[in-house]
Amino acid sequence: MKSIHEVEQTLNVWGFQPQITVPLLGEVQPKVIVMTWIVLILIALFTVAATRSMKVDRPGKLQLMVEEMFLFLRGLVYENMDYKKGAGLMCLIFTLFLFLLFCNLWGLVPTMMSPTASVNTTLGMALTVFFLVQVLGFRYKGIGFLKHFIQPSVFFLPIVIIEELSKPITLSLRLYGNIFAGEVLIAVLLGLFGLTADLLGGFVASVIWLAFSIFVGFVQAFIFTMLTIAYIGAATAQDH
Amino acid sequence: MEDVIKSLGINGTLVAQIFHFIILLIFLRVVAFPPIVKVLEQRQTAIANNVAAAEEERKQAEALRQSYLADMQKAKEEAQAIIQQATKAGEAQAQQILEAARAEANRVKETALKEIEREKEKAVAELRDQVITLSVLVADKIIGKQITQDLQHGLVEEFIKEAGDLPC
Repeated sequence: MKSIHEVEQTLNVWGFQPQITVPLLGEVQPKVIVMTWIVLILIALFTVAATRSMKVDRPGKLQLMVEEMFLFLRGLVYENMDYKKGAGLMCLIFTLFLFLLFCNLWGLVPTMMSPTASVNTTLGMALTVFFLVQVLGFRYKGIGFLKHFIQPSVFFLPIVIIEELSKPITLSLRLYGNIFAGEVLIAVLLGLFGLTADLLGGFVASVIWLAFSIFVGFVQAFIFTMLTIAYIGAATAQDH
Repeated sequence: MEDVIKSLGINGTLVAQIFHFIILLIFLRVVAFPPIVKVLEQRQTAIANNVAAAEEERKQAEALRQSYLADMQKAKEEAQAIIQQATKAGEAQAQQILEAARAEANRVKETALKEIEREKEKAVAELRDQVITLSVLVADKIIGKQITQDLQHGLVEEFIKEAGDLPC
């Protein structure tokens, strides 16, 4: 039985430094950055392979996968806002879902790490969404968007501000907590059973947890995307 | 605030991640998004066209069916008319044949009657001649006197006339 730090050191076969300092950005986590690059490349390969030769009558497996994902997200978007606004947002929603899904699942590959298991990534996404909501609110409602801060009366201003700020925070911490906990438990389960115990079935718990983590990865990506859609829908709706 | 940020481990990675996300957004917007939207639109158009074509064909089939039904009805009526006409013609012909036969029979009967009448008259005339000749012979024998043939004939004829038109 090993401690979690021992397991993490054993798993760090690529020799990533916990933190390095780069110009312009300051301190960064190289492992998160590199994993994000890998995820970006994977998404690029996946989407290019899926959309390389699209057919109308006989779609391939990859094409069907992407199409179904796209249609599912489009259904969610169209339920929450009108078509004209929704069509413009589809690319963003699609990218968000795909990125989060690949990030969540990538950590299940041994010695790899989910970029979303770092609060930096999730907070970055949540802040992007937060600013997007504000920008879209102003774009569709103009200066009237500010009115919802003081409705029904001016005394609600602090409450509404707290509510608005809590959105990106909960959004990021929910995703971060789920994925990070998944990774920690994977490491714990790996350390809990040695190689000899694995021969007697010690791997079963780990396998079950990995399967559950796949499910969690999908659900968390879906929740993040769904809440993004809901926030944008609420901010751009014509009447509250 | 600084402590919170530090304890959460928030650092420059955040900015890098936002940057990565924007890069991915641009990449998908340029490379992956247009073909997906295009193929979905094409499929939607294709399905709409298929539905419209099916509707059109259904309408055409319905029209065709109606015209066939009308044709069949017309053909039925024509056949009915032809049958009626033929029946009428047959009946008329039968009537004609019957009448002709009847007329023929009448004619034959009439001719036969006339023949009979003629034969009768002929027989009567012959009988008369023989009676006259016989009478003359008889009278010749009985009377025994010579009279001329012509005179005797005249006498007998007179007698027979007197005897009247008795039927034989």
